[in-house]
Amino acid sequence: MHEETATETSALVDATDQSSEEHRLVEEDVSHGLHYWIHPRVWLPPLVAFGLLALGWQLYAVHNRFIIPTVPQILTQLVDHPGLFWRNLLVTLQEAVVGASIGMLAAFVLAMGMCQVRLVERALMPLAVMINVTPIIAIAPVLVLAFGFGMTPKYIVTAVIVFFPFLINSLTGLKSSDPQAHDVFTTLHASKWEILVRLRLPSSLPFLFAAARICMPLSVVGAVVAEYVAPGKASGLGSLIETAMSLSDLKTVYASVLVLALLGIGLSAVVVVLQRRLLGWHQTAVLRRP
Amino acid sequence: MGLDVLGVSKTFDTRKGRVAALRDVSLRVGRGRFVSLIGPTGCGKSTLLRIVAGLVEADGGTVSIFGEPPERATAAKHVGFVPQSPALLPWRTVLDNVRVPFQVNRKADSVLGRRFRDPVEVLESFGLGDVLHSRPDQLSGGMQQKVAIARAFVFDPSILLMDEPFSALDELTRERQRHELLDIWQSDQKTVLFVTHSVPEAVALSDAVVVMSAQPGRVRAVIPVNLPRPRGELVEATDVFHDLERRVRSELRVAWNDNHA
Repeated sequence: MHEETATETSALVDATDQSSEEHRLVEEDVSHGLHYWIHPRVWLPPLVAFGLLALGWQLYAVHNRFIIPTVPQILTQLVDHPGLFWRNLLVTLQEAVVGASIGMLAAFVLAMGMCQVRLVERALMPLAVMINVTPIIAIAPVLVLAFGFGMTPKYIVTAVIVFFPFLINSLTGLKSSDPQAHDVFTTLHASKWEILVRLRLPSSLPFLFAAARICMPLSVVGAVVAEYVAPGKASGLGSLIETAMSLSDLKTVYASVLVLALLGIGLSAVVVVLQRRLLGWHQTAVLRRP
Repeated sequence: MGLDVLGVSKTFDTRKGRVAALRDVSLRVGRGRFVSLIGPTGCGKSTLLRIVAGLVEADGGTVSIFGEPPERATAAKHVGFVPQSPALLPWRTVLDNVRVPFQVNRKADSVLGRRFRDPVEVLESFGLGDVLHSRPDQLSGGMQQKVAIARAFVFDPSILLMDEPFSALDELTRERQRHELLDIWQSDQKTVLFVTHSVPEAVALSDAVVVMSAQPGRVRAVIPVNLPRPRGELVEATDVFHDLERRVRSELRVAWNDNHA
């Protein structure tokens, strides 16, 4: 009798073991490989959400034809002038990516300096806050005056807009390293540089990726604002919106907005993919089971 | 030669005013000896360990690690430190974590006659041969702590400082860990200063138990542990062991009453 219960219990234990093994396998399976996206539970919810939004839009647009164009009108506009949108998309993309890269790199270098030397943080943080609170739309025209209608003012505006969020996140990340690991490095007499490279930098990576997910779409906003103020050679989606607006061409305006939205989503997605590639050790990088 | 702590004092400035963490603390750990520090919370045992490790500077007194002050001893990589949490780098594998001591402060390694261990060999002798390429978060708490100890062993320091390394583990794992540590220690008899809260742990591991009392932190008693070595798990069932435990406990009680009188 007793023996029987014992076997039963051990069988039960085996069963749980196996299921947890299976669970882990599925999870590993899922975190690599593209077939994650085949699962309807992954792509269906956002699709439904977008569908409902389009439906609501359409219902409203049908009754207010002079305020907003209908969904088919916007899509037709896109299909009829693919070259126009593609050309302008590339310009905005370049401004966003180059500007954001400059801004994020500068912010990260400054954050490293701030975390190594407290004095640098004390001296420069108020300045960084000042840059952050200055309405970018107000200084953009001045930048155009200084740097002309080329790409330079656009890079600057984009860089400035991503600078502060990236600075704060980098600094938090660099300071987030485990103090006890810090003790271990100190008792080995590791140099400040060795601690930065081998401990602080890797510890900051999850924060950097979180910041990049905010900054990449934000850089699109920066690029559009800059184009708006300084149309330059009338290129970029921001310029296109500006021009179309002055002609009351609402279809082009909303088609451009749609392209901008897709650009933002695309840039975010690139960051997420990189994050999963490079940050396998961190929990934020693991895909949840669908 | 070994560790000599002579008249060390330390006060901290806190919001409630100055707190004397340590007052005139002296102790010595001979070469190849295992000494535990035990005492109520706030008795400064961790502070003392951190002073020896060169992480905190003492206000007065001297610390000599085989003739060198802590600063010089750490600069020469003579000090192995095992913190309370394993403090492993989560982005590195077990093996790469144990390689950290070789990758920093390389200047210290050029000294002639320096003897290093093979990290793989050390991990295998710790029973971690199967998880060399696992990441720390795939390991149990006990195994992670063993990796942290291996990281302190691998560069063959002259002294090992351990700050309650088993405090986060459950009781059963803890008991197993201390006997595994005993086995490891037995094979090369390092000089160890070990901070703990656990009376059986202190008695089972040590050649001497230093009981401290708080406010200000000072040495209340030094209890020699003359249990024969090597010590197996059965040692904890002997009468001598229980007598020693009782002695440590009664000293602790007095130390505790000191603070709350």
